Amino acid sequence: RRRKGPGALATGYLVIYNVVMTAGWLVIAVGLVRAYLAKGSYHSLYYSIEKPLKFFQTGALLEILHCALGIVPSSVVLTAFQVMSRVFLTWAVTHSVKEVQAEDSVLLFVVAWTITEIIRYSFYTFSLLNHLPYLIKWARYTLFIVLYPMGVSGELLTIYAALPFVRQSGLYSISLPNKYNFSFDYYTFLILVMISYIPIFPQLYFHMLHQRRKVLSHTEEHRKSE
Amino acid sequence: MHQRQKPSTPQHRRGLAADGGALSMLRNDSRSFFHFSQLVLSAGQIKPSPALKHSKITYFEVEILDVQSKKQICIVDKVPPASTLLDVKHKFHKACPQWYPSRVGLQLERNGPFLKDSVSIQSLAVSSIITLYFTDLGQQVGWTTFFLTEYTGPLLIYLLFYIRLSTIYDQAESRKNFRHPVVHLACFCHCLHYIRHLLETLFVHKFSEGHTPLKNMIKGCAFYWGFTSWIAYYINHPRYTPPSFGHRQVSYAALAFLMCEAGNHFINVALAHQTNSGNKTCFPSPTYNPFTWLFLLVSCPNYTYEAGSWISFTVMTQTLPVGIFAFLMVIQMSLWAQKKHKLYLKRFYPEVQRKAAMIPIIF
Repeated sequence: RRRKGPGALATGYLVIYNVVMTAGWLVIAVGLVRAYLAKGSYHSLYYSIEKPLKFFQTGALLEILHCALGIVPSSVVLTAFQVMSRVFLTWAVTHSVKEVQAEDSVLLFVVAWTITEIIRYSFYTFSLLNHLPYLIKWARYTLFIVLYPMGVSGELLTIYAALPFVRQSGLYSISLPNKYNFSFDYYTFLILVMISYIPIFPQLYFHMLHQRRKVLSHTEEHRKSE
Repeated sequence: MHQRQKPSTPQHRRGLAADGGALSMLRNDSRSFFHFSQLVLSAGQIKPSPALKHSKITYFEVEILDVQSKKQICIVDKVPPASTLLDVKHKFHKACPQWYPSRVGLQLERNGPFLKDSVSIQSLAVSSIITLYFTDLGQQVGWTTFFLTEYTGPLLIYLLFYIRLSTIYDQAESRKNFRHPVVHLACFCHCLHYIRHLLETLFVHKFSEGHTPLKNMIKGCAFYWGFTSWIAYYINHPRYTPPSFGHRQVSYAALAFLMCEAGNHFINVALAHQTNSGNKTCFPSPTYNPFTWLFLLVSCPNYTYEAGSWISFTVMTQTLPVGIFAFLMVIQMSLWAQKKHKLYLKRFYPEVQRKAAMIPIIF
């Protein structure tokens, strides 16, 4: 059963959305390069791009809405999962635990995200306009091989670095006794999040590798037949 | 692989036996008095076997292919036209013993709906060979097993927390803290709820012969057992805080809980009664029992009472995890009630139209 594609209005809106997001992540990329050149070192570059990073990463929440409305043919649950994990890392870890902002692991995942998102959003833009250059398709389905593990490492190291500070300050934690008989330990929660990467990361990685084989070999055949 | 079946209908078999028996006795020269008396007695009963009408019964052949590989798994032949899909599934099971009937999903087309067991072969047949696609529906469990497992778990798990196992709670704290009476009351209510469910599963509910995939049972058990552990942990914790409004809150909530339990029980009995008497043609009606009067306002009062039980339990224990569990249960039951309500609207249109699905007036 072929799903009905988005109408003309929805396509127009999506093109604008994707262009804005591409521009936003380019701003972050340029900001990183400029800060590096100004400072002379790659430490503590997070502070220079903190605001655009938060803004554009949070803007990705709209993608869940796009799936829910059906104008993008993706699974709502899967997209929600991916976007929420990014937003969680941006706000609940990096923003909330100020002491980790100077860590190098933050730069690791910010760079990985920046490159991935620029390529991804330009891929969507060109796809919607039916003029997808092979280079962008190739980049999207190849660079992840390096960028994905890089991003995951950065994220895990950041969460790990945040742990002692969370323990110390009791951040986002409630303990007994209290009127509503509830308790939540953010420290344990973060450890569980880290553990959840173990089953999830390989699955997504191999899924992307599988997609790569399918998409790029299909294009090769198409080119040969021309 | 062919499944050869002896072509014998019951009458045919009986006729053959009577004939054969008498002939062999005459031939064998009855040796004892017993045989002689049998002969005398049976002689009077022998009727000339009616000339068997060899009516033209077109037997069907059912070809079963695997839905993914389109390879033939087996052919079930000599299928009488009056038989149903279930008979075919039984024959298929004899040919391939690992696929028992409840696990077999048969479709007419590769992406079509699964055919019901009660479908007759005659209605499917276009020619004398019918092709069906087979899907393995996975390990199945019966409804009774499903519910018994799902309800026994919470019963036992809560009690484990109630007795305050040393591995869960700190022993020193457990020993010195005084336990508020609401903790004992909560344990009693919780156990009452699940014991009632178990007894109803065993003695009241009449489940259809259906089965459900094992996956569903695992998911249901994970949900119930997981949440029961979570709520039991907090209610039985040494640092449990009793409700803010004290004894009044506890007593009123306990009373509401007991009323909802009684209500749910009577509704289940009424529904089972209706299924038993086979009277599916009209909507269950309220009786002299005041708990069944909710049938006037709502089409699925069993869900209303169950939701009421959990909300009362939340108020009684004033524990947020119980509230979260009650919230999720209410959502789940609203979805079930909505589905059932739609079914009722189709079947019993005029009566049910004015009623709400689960919450009187509102929904």
